[in-house]
Amino acid sequence: MNYRDKPELRERLAAEYALGTLRGRARERLRSWLRDDAELAREVAAWEARLAPMAQAVEPVTPPARIWAGVERQLGGAAHKPFSFWKTLGLIASGAAAALLAVAVLLPPQRARISPSVEGSYIAVLSDPKTNHPVLVATAERGETVLRVNTLDPAIHVAGRSLELWALPRGGQPKSLGLVSHEKVALKLVATADQSLGDVPALAVSLEPQGGSPTGQPTGPVLYTGPCVKYW
Amino acid sequence: MAPPAQALEALLARSALGDRGAFRALYDATAPKLFGVALRILRREDWAEEVLQECYVSVWRHATEYRASRAAPMTWMTSIVRNRCLDWLRRPNPQPIDDEQLEGLESDNPGPLAELERGRDTAALARCLRGLEARQRQAIALAFFDGLSHAELAKHLREPLGTVKTWVRRGLARLRNCLELQG
Repeated sequence: MNYRDKPELRERLAAEYALGTLRGRARERLRSWLRDDAELAREVAAWEARLAPMAQAVEPVTPPARIWAGVERQLGGAAHKPFSFWKTLGLIASGAAAALLAVAVLLPPQRARISPSVEGSYIAVLSDPKTNHPVLVATAERGETVLRVNTLDPAIHVAGRSLELWALPRGGQPKSLGLVSHEKVALKLVATADQSLGDVPALAVSLEPQGGSPTGQPTGPVLYTGPCVKYW
Repeated sequence: MAPPAQALEALLARSALGDRGAFRALYDATAPKLFGVALRILRREDWAEEVLQECYVSVWRHATEYRASRAAPMTWMTSIVRNRCLDWLRRPNPQPIDDEQLEGLESDNPGPLAELERGRDTAALARCLRGLEARQRQAIALAFFDGLSHAELAKHLREPLGTVKTWVRRGLARLRNCLELQG
């Protein structure tokens, strides 16, 4: 079947692949074309984007704990998988001149590996140290003055008290970044993210009286902390 | 409510760098919905569990390939799960859906559509689905939610195979036009 110069057929195959009605050998054949036909892959992706939101209508079902246990077992015990950037650095450092290493540091090869929207961003994932469970994600683009904070676990919000987010600068006092008053907040930074977070290795959240700390420094217990990482 | 795409993107990015804690958070935020998707297509809990586990292993291993510019995180993961479910049904002995199960399927999906209308990102899709002829909408919903093939659709809807194929084809074409108009 020559599908390449038949736009209508391509469109239909892409749509039925995404819907799931393309079955059997036809499905496998289309999948093999996707590898070297970027335009067809884009058409399939466009159809997936059109149809996948239908899944939002499916009733969620809490999966049994053994599924996560199985995932962990299959991924092995190591907390970190080998990271090609460091592997690459290791190879360069072992065999080549320091100049090359400098270039590698300036142009880390993982640049292309990270999704564009997080490239050039500061990202902090704050966890509960007792459970090691991530509860908040904070992101800010380098040149912007907005820090977006998303709550992963809505249960952390307590009525009558405020959660205050702090920057913990290297060798300095905590600086308030604002209150995490809703599940999704955009906090205004006093300067660009580069200036506000460039020398901030970690963020923390403390429990404060309603409206925030009266002193300008954390007064309640520090509940969540996490490293603030530069993604570029 | 769907978790915010930006948070999922950040968690995927951290997973790509090997952060198992972020991956766990991604799992917690997305697994119930995706387990629901797999259960509905496979109709057997043990299969759905096996598929979901494989899919998350795959998400971890391929997290570096995720590109936010190409797909929203939930779209990317939903497609992984649905594709794996459909592959699963193709195994040599997957016990195809039997007649009794076919009878038991809800023939229309007012519930899910109402759910879609509430979401800001899904309202346009819900409107366009409502704009289809009832049988086109029904065929597309059964294919998407229940993973029915053309042949199973024909059996369930008691219509000739060719007729059902036409409904699906025309329904998809209309859906696309409608979504493009909605911008």
